[in-house]
Amino acid sequence: MNRRQFLSSTAAGMLAAPALLRGAFAQEGPFRVKYYPVAAGMGSRDVTPAPDGTIWFCGQRNGTLGRLDPRDGSFKLVDLGKGAAPHGVIIGPDGAPWVTEGGQNAIARVDPGDHKVTLFRLPEKEAYANLNTAVFDKSGIYWFTGQSGIYGRLDPKSGDITVFKAPRGRGTYGMTITPKGDVWYASLAGNHIAKIDLATGNATVVEPPTPKQGARRVWSDSSGRIWVSEWNSGNVSMHDPADGSWKAWKLPGENPRTYAVYVDDKDKVWLTDFSANAIVRFDPLTEKFNAFPSDMPGANVRQMDGRPGETWGGESGTNRLVVIQTVTPA
Amino acid sequence: MRFFAALLLLLMSTAAPVAAEDGARLFAPCRACHSLDASEKELPGPNLAGIVGRKIGGDTAFDYSPALRKARDEGLRWDAQRLESFLADPAEMFPGLWMSMRGIEDAAERQSLVRFLAEPSSR
Repeated sequence: MNRRQFLSSTAAGMLAAPALLRGAFAQEGPFRVKYYPVAAGMGSRDVTPAPDGTIWFCGQRNGTLGRLDPRDGSFKLVDLGKGAAPHGVIIGPDGAPWVTEGGQNAIARVDPGDHKVTLFRLPEKEAYANLNTAVFDKSGIYWFTGQSGIYGRLDPKSGDITVFKAPRGRGTYGMTITPKGDVWYASLAGNHIAKIDLATGNATVVEPPTPKQGARRVWSDSSGRIWVSEWNSGNVSMHDPADGSWKAWKLPGENPRTYAVYVDDKDKVWLTDFSANAIVRFDPLTEKFNAFPSDMPGANVRQMDGRPGETWGGESGTNRLVVIQTVTPA
Repeated sequence: MRFFAALLLLLMSTAAPVAAEDGARLFAPCRACHSLDASEKELPGPNLAGIVGRKIGGDTAFDYSPALRKARDEGLRWDAQRLESFLADPAEMFPGLWMSMRGIEDAAERQSLVRFLAEPSSR
């Protein structure tokens, strides 16, 4: 069940230096964009910063979890097992990366020290969950979504997994936790967001005002407002659970396709637009957008995460990671 | 000789149901975005009813990624062989594809899934 394998830790990897440096200007700009090539054909997608400064990233196409050291561009790949197809990765309270590992229908924990892989398999009757995204709640329970129409909880101490049927079936996708500890998910096929009652596991559906919007991912800001990337409508929307209100903004350009959403430590909202092949920053105060198009076609950044001053994403279509740094003026 | 003929018959009689079952099993994760029911529209992925034989990017109600729009504009069609190659590594065949999945390594599994997609009678 437990596996460990380092696939790549070569000197060649150390040559993977930032590919491009360029500036963009906005309210708090300039911003600096850097690219880090990783393994060819790996489909580098969801990312998360580790406490030690490295970046974990999923290789959905080659079944690995990667670890990039941005200081020198080197990276290592950890084989997650036969048929693995990792989708999302987050850091747990134990400092380890935890992965929604759809290929083996399991939650995978990778030890940050020796890279040992521990799998927590879903019950047999949930064989095709299509595991997607996860968060840890404040009591250390791991909550996850499965796009086939489930969500669930894993207690890392006991290994117990409970799976719940999503109220409107398939589509369960992105997930977020608010500062207060509430857990929300988005349903892409179901066109809604939902809040999970952590005690009962029941989900309460909340409808965005735009019909058939395709709510794909969600991220909470510092005051617990839920930001939603709407794939079908090309909007970013915001729901305030405190008063039940909604606001929505269309991304710039023709026929935007909003895929990822991430809210940084300054409550600025970062999005990706597949039509524009760009990462887009939205300032809720000024309601202005800044676009950062990739320097390569078909970048397809499917998720973002970050740390103060840095927003990270995986270019799944180019097998690179990208970071946008907010440069502090001298 | 009679023994081998009997064995062959036995294998043939069991192979078909197993393949059909495999096809359904392999298609299960795809159902998050796709349907084989022609009346089921507005899912995150294109409708796959009648996919084999039709143009790539052929669901007129669906907004495809540039990679598939280009293939459609070039007049490419899905046949069983192309679909099987696609399923081995979709992003390899169409770089920049918006759909994201790991390819199916096992050739027999790919063939089962293609058969499942192509032949309503196999479902």
